[in-house]
Amino acid sequence: MAVLYPSPEWCEEWKKAINHSPAVAETGKNWGVDFNGSWLFELQPGGGLEKTCFIYLDAKNGKCTEARTIHDPSEVNPGFYAVGSYADYKEVVKGKKDFIEGVMQGVFKIKGDISKIMRHAKFIRAVANSISTFEATYLPLSPPLAGAEERQGN
Amino acid sequence: MPSIDDFIRPKEWVSDFVSDLGRVLRKWGEEKYVPLRQKVDEDWEEHKTVEPLLKEVLVDLGINPAFFPAEAGGTDMPEPMTLINVVCEELARIDAGFATACICSIWGLVPILFKPHRNMELLMEFGPKFCGDQLYVGCHAMTEPSSGADIENIGRMYGKTIQTTATLDGEEWIINGHKTWPSNSGKVGNLYVVACTTKKGSADPHDFALILVPADVPGFSTGKPYKKAGMSADMNTDIWFDHVRVPKRYRLHGPGDDLKYWRRAITMGNIGSAAMCVGIMKNVYEIIKKWTSERVIAGKPLKEHSICADMLSEIAILIESTSAWMWTYARELDHPEIYGWEPWDERFLLKSRGLALYANNAVERACSRAMDFMGSYGYAREFDIEKHWRDQKVIGLWMGGKGLKTLENARYWYDLETL
Repeated sequence: MAVLYPSPEWCEEWKKAINHSPAVAETGKNWGVDFNGSWLFELQPGGGLEKTCFIYLDAKNGKCTEARTIHDPSEVNPGFYAVGSYADYKEVVKGKKDFIEGVMQGVFKIKGDISKIMRHAKFIRAVANSISTFEATYLPLSPPLAGAEERQGN
Repeated sequence: MPSIDDFIRPKEWVSDFVSDLGRVLRKWGEEKYVPLRQKVDEDWEEHKTVEPLLKEVLVDLGINPAFFPAEAGGTDMPEPMTLINVVCEELARIDAGFATACICSIWGLVPILFKPHRNMELLMEFGPKFCGDQLYVGCHAMTEPSSGADIENIGRMYGKTIQTTATLDGEEWIINGHKTWPSNSGKVGNLYVVACTTKKGSADPHDFALILVPADVPGFSTGKPYKKAGMSADMNTDIWFDHVRVPKRYRLHGPGDDLKYWRRAITMGNIGSAAMCVGIMKNVYEIIKKWTSERVIAGKPLKEHSICADMLSEIAILIESTSAWMWTYARELDHPEIYGWEPWDERFLLKSRGLALYANNAVERACSRAMDFMGSYGYAREFDIEKHWRDQKVIGLWMGGKGLKTLENARYWYDLETL
C-alpha cells in the first residue's frame, strides 16, 4: 500500500526498505561507527507542502536504527543536515533525481563532515536509492485547508 | 580583511558542496601536509612520505571515486571541470607537485570517464580498483624522448610523430615503445593510459590509439625517478613497453574516437593547469601579505612603501584575472548546452591554451615578484616562496610547452593555416 510522503508511516516503510537493502548492508559497514551518522532532512515548503517538515534518520553499521518525522530540529543532534525543497525531495523519492548529484549541484544543501560523504558516497547513494523501492503518494499541489497539517505528518 | 577566499570563485557556478569539499582539502592540507611539505621535497626518489598522503586524498577523502560513475563504485560528481579546478587549486596551494599527482590519477581516463562518451565495460573493470579501499593510481603516458609537443599538437600532427606502436594480434594489442615524464610513473602508477599509434608515421586520426596498460604486465618496465628542480611529490620516470600484451578491449574507444575524446583531456589539462597556478598564487599572496605586513623598513611596514604596494597590487590582479578566466572556461566546458560546443571540440582546446599560458606567466611573475621583495628570505627554503618558484616552472613546460600553447592560441584566434 502506498504511504504518504512525508508521514510517520512513510518513515517506517523507509526504515524497512533500508534494512532490506543488500547494497546498504554491504556499503554501510563503516558508516556511523566512529562518528555521528544520523541525518536530519529539512523539507522546505512548496510543491504541496505548506510548512517546513523534518525527517530524522539514524544509521550505523549498514542498518537504519531510527526513521521518524519530528516537529522541532532541536529535538535531535544530527551528524548531517540536508536542506531542500519538498518538490526536489519528492523527485528523489520518485527515483527521478539522484540525491548525491543533487547535493553536488547544490539542490540540497548539506551541513556536516563533507569528507565522510565523499568517503561513503556509495552507502549514501544506496540509502537514497532505497527510498524509491516502495510506493508513495504525495501531497497535492493545492491541499485542502482543513486537515492539511495532519496530512503533512506534523 | 580580504583573504584568499575573496578572489573570484562564482558562487552561482560552484556549488556549496564543491566549495565545502575544497575547504576539507584545505584543512587536511594544513593539518597533514604542510608540516611535511619540506620533507616531501626531499622524498622525490622513494615517495615514502608521499604515498600515504596520496592514499589519504585519493582514497580516504574520495577524490579518485569522485569522478567515476556510480555503477563503477564512484560518486559520479557532476560538473567535473569545476571539481577538478577546486581540487587543483586547493592542493596546489599546499604543493603543486602533490596536486599534479592527485589529479593525474584520473586525467588519462577522461576519454572514458565522463558522459556522454563513457566506456562502461572498462569502467566496470577498473572502477572498483580506483574506488576501493587500497590506493590505486592512474598515469597518462604521452611524451616520448623525441618530443612531447609534437604528440600534443593534435591539430597539426595527428599523432604522426608517435613512436610507441600498438599492433593488433588476434584479441590482443602488442605495445612497443618508450615514454618519458608522465606523472605518477615509476612505483606510483598502477594503470597507464598510453598514447600510441597503430601505424607509425601515419597522420590519419584513426591510427591514434589510447590503450590501457596495467603496470604489472610482462614487458612493462620503468626507470629511476627524475631528479627535478621541484614537484617532488609527482614522480616522473622513463617507461618502456617491450612486447607488452593487453586485451583488445583495453583500447579506450577505437579509430577516430580515441583522438576525439582525448581532446577533452587536453582541454581539461589546460584549465586544471591554470587552477594549479591560481592555487600557488594564493599561497604566494598569503605569504607575501604576512611578510610585508610584519617586516618593518624605514619605520613602517614594508607594504606601506609605494614600490612594494605596486608589487602587491600586481599579484592580486594576476590572481583575480586568472581566476576569472579559469572559472569562465570551466563553466563553458561543463555546460556545452549553454555555450554550444562539445567538451572535445578542437576549437575549445586551442582557446584553452591561452588560459594555460596566461596562468603560467602569471604565477611565474607572482613568485618572482614576491621573492624580489622578500630578498634572500624569499630565496630561503623556510618561507616556501622558493618552493613555489621551483614548482611552477614546469606547469608552463608540460603539455607541449609555452611554444605550443602560444601557437595553438594564435591558431584559434587568427585562423592560422600553416602553424
